[in-house]
Amino acid sequence: MPPLWGWTLYITEAAQVVEENAPIINDIMSLLISDFLIPVSICLILLGLWIGHSNPKKREQSQRHVMNAAVAIGISTLIVTILNTQDFWPRPFDPAIPNVDLWQSAYLAADIVAYHHADPPFPCNGATISFAAATCIWFGNRKAGLVIFILASLWAFARFYGGLHFFVDMAAGIVIGVTTAIMISKVFMPRTEPVPTIALHIARALYIA
Amino acid sequence: MGVDYIILVFITSIGLYQIATIPAGLKGLWFFKWRAVQYAFGIIAIVGAFTWFFLDEDRNYQHTIEGAQQLGLFLGCIIAAYVFTGIVSSVIRANVATRPKEPVKGKQHDLGVETLKKTTLLGGILSSLRHEREK
Repeated sequence: MPPLWGWTLYITEAAQVVEENAPIINDIMSLLISDFLIPVSICLILLGLWIGHSNPKKREQSQRHVMNAAVAIGISTLIVTILNTQDFWPRPFDPAIPNVDLWQSAYLAADIVAYHHADPPFPCNGATISFAAATCIWFGNRKAGLVIFILASLWAFARFYGGLHFFVDMAAGIVIGVTTAIMISKVFMPRTEPVPTIALHIARALYIA
Repeated sequence: MGVDYIILVFITSIGLYQIATIPAGLKGLWFFKWRAVQYAFGIIAIVGAFTWFFLDEDRNYQHTIEGAQQLGLFLGCIIAAYVFTGIVSSVIRANVATRPKEPVKGKQHDLGVETLKKTTLLGGILSSLRHEREK
């Protein structure tokens, strides 16, 4: 059992109380927890930043941050895939969890707002990639970065609320995402010059940058 | 699910291109002469596509689109939507001509989408092929 596992019990029990009293909140959580709404929204924001500047220099800066975000998403996904092979613990709703109250509560919460995912929960993949993107964009555009941070937080919380993850899964995902983004933006990408510049030149020649 | 996801990304991307190219001034990608219509079209495309996607059926089930596949499909769809936008706007020529009065100055690998402030996507490609740009 991971540390702070009791928090998952509280939050999934809360999901059932909400279902009895204000089911519309769970409908909203069901939308937020989706594998499509927030990921597609974040990618559309990145696409808007790629093309949406009038000034060519500002556009190029923005495109570099989007490139950093794309690389950070790729690297952090690789880290998550490697960690997933270790199989630290099952999902909270898995009957293999020793605490019966916990897995039953998480099972019901997952039934209400999500579905029973089959892959390992540690670390939370959604939190990892969304926080990686938010951090990279934050370095270049505070407003857009803040919007992505809010979306990322909503997605991560919804997955915790829906009994898909323990709190530690979510926290680890955020740490991995943010750390990867900082390393990519501040260390890796500046040292790989002129590769990013050449990539931008090729994209410009193809009318996509 | 896969086809629905492709439709979602394709339509929302078209809507996003229409909105994002307004502040960027990339008139070569515009479908309309009027900014208000352009904004309205973009918003309707994005909100409409998301509304259709989530109201059409429950999307919270064990689907077959993995994270990497989702990203790959997204990239493919935004490129397809960009090509579609470029072709449609080149045919409509709402704000700029395919052949501008003055040749585009500079090399394409330096200018990029900046070219689309003065001409359409097809116009830019044709001028590159004809080597009629000023150095």
